[in-house]
Amino acid sequence: MYYVDLAVTGLSFGCMYALMAVGLTLVYGLLRILHIAHAAVFALGAYITVIVANASGSILLGLLAAIAFTPLFGMAIYRVLYQPLLSYRPDVPMIASVGLLVLMQDAFRIAFGEQGVTFQNNVYLFEIFDIGGERVNAVQIAIVVCTILVFIGLHLFTTRTRIGIAWRATVSQPKIATSFGIDAERVRYLCFAIGSALAALAGGLVGLLDNLVDPVIGYVVSYKALAIIVLGGLGSVRGTLIASLVLGLIESYGTIFIGSWLNRDAIAFVALIVLLLVRPQGLTGVRAP
Amino acid sequence: MLHPVSKFVSRAGTILGGLLAAAVLALTAPAANAQIKIGFQAPLTGFAATDGKSAMIAAQMAIDEINADGGLLGQKLQLVPYDDQAKPDQAIFTANKLIGEDGVKLVVNASYSASGRAAASVFQKAGVLMIAAYGVHPDITTAGDFMFRLVHLGPPQGEATALFIGKTLHLKRISAITMDNDYGQATMDGFLAAASKYGIQVVNKYSYALSDRQFGSIVASVKRDNPDGVYATGYFFTGGPLISQLRAGGVTAPIIGSQAFDSATLIKIAGPAAEGTYVVDSFDRGRKDAALQKFFADFQKRAGYPPENVAAITYSAINLMADAITRAKSADPAKVRDALAATKNYALLTGDLIGFNKLHEIIMPINVNVVKDGKFVSFVKLDDLTAFAPPDK
Repeated sequence: MYYVDLAVTGLSFGCMYALMAVGLTLVYGLLRILHIAHAAVFALGAYITVIVANASGSILLGLLAAIAFTPLFGMAIYRVLYQPLLSYRPDVPMIASVGLLVLMQDAFRIAFGEQGVTFQNNVYLFEIFDIGGERVNAVQIAIVVCTILVFIGLHLFTTRTRIGIAWRATVSQPKIATSFGIDAERVRYLCFAIGSALAALAGGLVGLLDNLVDPVIGYVVSYKALAIIVLGGLGSVRGTLIASLVLGLIESYGTIFIGSWLNRDAIAFVALIVLLLVRPQGLTGVRAP
Repeated sequence: MLHPVSKFVSRAGTILGGLLAAAVLALTAPAANAQIKIGFQAPLTGFAATDGKSAMIAAQMAIDEINADGGLLGQKLQLVPYDDQAKPDQAIFTANKLIGEDGVKLVVNASYSASGRAAASVFQKAGVLMIAAYGVHPDITTAGDFMFRLVHLGPPQGEATALFIGKTLHLKRISAITMDNDYGQATMDGFLAAASKYGIQVVNKYSYALSDRQFGSIVASVKRDNPDGVYATGYFFTGGPLISQLRAGGVTAPIIGSQAFDSATLIKIAGPAAEGTYVVDSFDRGRKDAALQKFFADFQKRAGYPPENVAAITYSAINLMADAITRAKSADPAKVRDALAATKNYALLTGDLIGFNKLHEIIMPINVNVVKDGKFVSFVKLDDLTAFAPPDK
């Protein structure tokens, strides 16, 4: 029972991380930029969700609003921050990204207060389901379902649609893709739009799960998502999913053995270091020749 | 040609007249130039900004009220605030600014432990008096005799919790969940040291970080422990989710939280799950005290949200400083220090301060709140002062 509890927890953490990190890996895959400001996009999604949900009384509307409007913010980040810096070394846009994240966290604090915003009527969190003895709430179920839908959706998108295939082409062979008439700029905007929408969904769901959206909600995302995409193999969507689930399970089981003196993050990063020493290319990456 | 004596008289007259004019000007100069400066450090930005903002509002409110009443010793009080971001390096930097640039001799520090402790050593060396409103690290008062603290140290709070859990609630098997920063660990250390004295068996210990909001594995482990009660140290933004998830996971045992759980936002986060939660060393908001109720109303009006412990204790820190200045009849730090040390039975908003011990730690009963019908109400006041006496060196 106990170990099943922990497995469910690990799965729950894992899916949360997968949704947080997938946007980051999409951007890296396309542009080789570490989009640290992804955490700010995530936080914005969380804030839009809670503000709209409280104002309208509908959590679903909050989530939809976040998914609809955050892509505009994401695309603006690309246009203003990254596009002008594309010709430089990748660490230059990354530093700009870090700067934006720091700025946004303080902006959230000034705009929405330090105490954070709670959901006025978080029905889904307090709706508990008993599935085979395991007590889970509706938000946790939503996170798992969304993760499944998102990853299947991304797979179908990149293999069955024209735009998706054009995207993959731009990732692997940008110059040849352009000579085939694919507009690389359009693909980049699309990448940021989708990545941001997914970050917003993750933000809204995590906000619901915590029942609190505060200025530092993006803090964990800012470093953990990065660690996850490295572990998964930079740029690999499948790798991100696997790494997320693996890390979630390691955190969950790890804390019971050494949880009294190492906290969850410390356990996660120790595991990360060990895994990367064993497989530096990440779980699904290809070893450099 | 003027007679030499006449010349002398007119010259003397001019000089005398000039001196008289200067004397008149000096004596009737507006008192605005002569102000008593009270330095103020708080985390206005950064991860601790919730507390810093509350503290700032409360401090300014206290200053404004004192000035409206005529000030102190015929002078107005001026708050000289700095943002230390709850970081030691910023605490040292702003402390040096207060000493060097602003010439401040009296400071209220409304910041966290790590930053408070860094500031303490700087101020002590400079002979500047500092009252720490709510920082709990022991090194704050051991820095020297110019340091005072208005909140119970972490370990005494933990000891009081052991007393409460063992003797008031009569619970035996406890799961202990610690937040892994100075505050969380110091408080838990006090609890663990005193637990056996009251027949408490700590079934298991867990630890989490300030940034954690999801406690799935801890909840699963506590369920397996099946304890009589759960004791957790942390802040309202970790305690709220923790309580909510413990209840959602099926843990029905009473939950006892540490001082920083004491915020209306905790109840908002945990919703119905918060009902019945105990918070040790919390703020008795319902005390039949005119000054307290006025503070509540005024703070709510200024800030737009109800005050918590941090706001109340910071407000009291400013008022106690003012009271000491009045009793010392001087703003000289050594005299104010002696007046503070001699304080007896002063009514802080958070309770009746009986006095300070040799190390300038407070001697004061501890209030325990419980969440009832969605609000904090006082449950019991622990007044076995020897059970949680602070260290005196």
